[in-house]
Amino acid sequence: MSAPTKHPRFALSQRIEHALIVLAFVTLAVTGLPQKYAGAAWAEAMIQLFGGIETTRVIHRFAATLLMLESVYHLAVVGYKVFVRRVAMSMLPTLQDGRDAWQAFRFNLGLAKQRPQMGRYNFEEKAEYWSLVWGTVVMIITGFMMWNPIATARFFPGQFIPAAKAAHGGEAVLAVLAIIIWHMYSVHLRRFNRSMWTGSLTEEEMLHDHPVELADIKAGFANRPVEPLTLKKRQQAYLPVAGVFSLGLLAGVYYFVTFEQTAITTLPPTPAVQVFAPQTPTPLPPTATPKPLGDLTWAGLVDPVFADKCAVCHGTAGGLSFATYADALQGGQSGPAIVPGNAAGSKLVEVQSAGGHPGQLTEDELAQITEWIDRGAPEN
Amino acid sequence: MPNRHRWLFISAFLGVGLALAVFTLAFAVPSASAEPGVGNEYCLSCHGQPDQIKDLPSGERLYLTIDPTLYADSVHGQGGYACVQCHTDIRTFPHPESKAQDRRDVTLSMYTTCKQCHSGNFEKTLDSVHQKALEEGNKNAAVCSDCHNPHAQQRLTHPDTRQLLPRAHVQIPQTCARCHSEIYDQYKKSVHGAALLENINPDVPACIDCHGVHNIPDPTTAAFRLRSPELCAKCHTDPARMSKYGISTQVLNTYLADFHGTTVTLFEKQTPDQVTNKPVCFDCHGIHDIARPDDPQKGLQVKENLLQTCQKCHPDATPNFPDAWLSHYDPSSDKNPLVYYVNLFYKIFIPSVIGGMALFVASDIGRRLIKRGKGAARS
Repeated sequence: MSAPTKHPRFALSQRIEHALIVLAFVTLAVTGLPQKYAGAAWAEAMIQLFGGIETTRVIHRFAATLLMLESVYHLAVVGYKVFVRRVAMSMLPTLQDGRDAWQAFRFNLGLAKQRPQMGRYNFEEKAEYWSLVWGTVVMIITGFMMWNPIATARFFPGQFIPAAKAAHGGEAVLAVLAIIIWHMYSVHLRRFNRSMWTGSLTEEEMLHDHPVELADIKAGFANRPVEPLTLKKRQQAYLPVAGVFSLGLLAGVYYFVTFEQTAITTLPPTPAVQVFAPQTPTPLPPTATPKPLGDLTWAGLVDPVFADKCAVCHGTAGGLSFATYADALQGGQSGPAIVPGNAAGSKLVEVQSAGGHPGQLTEDELAQITEWIDRGAPEN
Repeated sequence: MPNRHRWLFISAFLGVGLALAVFTLAFAVPSASAEPGVGNEYCLSCHGQPDQIKDLPSGERLYLTIDPTLYADSVHGQGGYACVQCHTDIRTFPHPESKAQDRRDVTLSMYTTCKQCHSGNFEKTLDSVHQKALEEGNKNAAVCSDCHNPHAQQRLTHPDTRQLLPRAHVQIPQTCARCHSEIYDQYKKSVHGAALLENINPDVPACIDCHGVHNIPDPTTAAFRLRSPELCAKCHTDPARMSKYGISTQVLNTYLADFHGTTVTLFEKQTPDQVTNKPVCFDCHGIHDIARPDDPQKGLQVKENLLQTCQKCHPDATPNFPDAWLSHYDPSSDKNPLVYYVNLFYKIFIPSVIGGMALFVASDIGRRLIKRGKGAARS
């Protein structure tokens, strides 16, 4: 018995592309989702596993860069196939795909007699491919905004940045769920499709999944080679254009990754406030120490305080005056301000205790003057 | 001769034993009834007199007058404590010679005596930033008596509940201000300080509510910084306290949901000593000079103020940039509508797409199961 006929499906370069995307996608998912759900215990455990949040972010950004580079390469390759090789654009979605999907669904429900007969890329594969394209575009745009928020806010309202974060997270959940439900089911669970690793499908697999393409192959329609001369002419036109275009995109990726220094890396030292700034030149003495009593006199304490706080109004201007000891004891129009030996009955203490006086004494000053009055308001 | 020595030894032994017994009794039951041997009247016969001044070698004067009424009014005086219970090295006059060069030496030689009764709080202070500074040779670092004047200290906590008395709460900032006057000057103008000092508002924090008391940690460490959002959240997520002032309790949630808060929280949990440039509450709102959000000079609701705040870390930020921060609001159709509608879109889009896929996959599985069943029945 001869070996079953194999039909090539994916070239080595395509398989490498797929492997790169798997690597980038899985890395992005396992480093990205824990960032989205950072409050959850599982997310914290994963972040710790990756070496902390900063490292997780760095890994995420490396994977993102890999995916962007792969996208640039993919664009160039697709351009080559479309403009140089001029292969059939079998990945473009058509109305027929919609009809196929509907028929497949009805067939599953037993409402249609036959599975749809599909070509090189069936509707399931196209849905995947274009989902990936859409997802990658959304992720690159929103990722740029988060990676370069200062630049983004220069052109757009600031709110675009948290909105980009919301979209990036929503799109991530969508992509991961789609891969699990759609991709895993159709190529791993339903029947393990190894073509992305081996590069080929058996005749039987072709007959089941891509009967129209198989018919084309048998009829000799598929993969018709281009005339060498034409090929060369097209290459000469395409390669410089594609080269410039790709270089432009690569420069874009480079700017994406290095464009801005979003924040300073080290915080400035906390504002210059003197931590140790004692209210008295030396810390208070260790005991409750009334000021030495020798100081509690008109000359030693009261006169300097009054001169400082009160003299502007209660000086030589008339009315109550604190200019001299005699003036101070004499009082003003409403009687004596100081009643020696009776601070509580002294107008001065009453007014000052109420607070808000234009020449308000500090608590300490008032306490000392109160004490002075209670001690009989000595002059010396 | 040996006999005489033996008697000397025995009497010395008994004497020391007796003294120890008296001491033990005195400190085991420290109360008014304790009679450690030397009455306060004896001490006050000199120290109650005015002008008890000692000139120290440094040239400073040590004031040794104790106001008997002030002491009698203090928590220690009311408890009936004797001078010699704290001044354990002094029993009579003349006193043992003091080696203190200046007033600070006197304080530093005395404060460990507090440990005799207040061992719990004393041990807490051993972990404090003050004690560390002291050990590093900073003689200015506060010890017990710098905050609690033992001869005049009033009761600070309620005797039954051990809760801080409202009067004491208000006085705390003045106590710390004795050494930290510049910080106090900032604090008294802040939204918290003004409310406490002017309105005697018990809801606002005094120094110790954020810094702790006795075991005060070093507030300049990375660990303190990473933990600080929890300090603010203690009050700012308390609905009972915040509702009085119409302040949102979502401030912590919304901070944690943001890039800055997420990072800080993860650092705090996983690498608590990590130095980070991500802001915590006080980087934007201020440390001791916290202003109301609508304060024209500093309030972060004022757009220019917010931009300036962002620019401290994002020097290139333009006027649009501050809107990237959702200002502690959950996205809604009013506040941050773009974010709200993007979220809404994905709330509908994800179930639609995934639901459609799941439906198709389910139909495929169903058909295969039925087919297999039929196949099995046929064979």
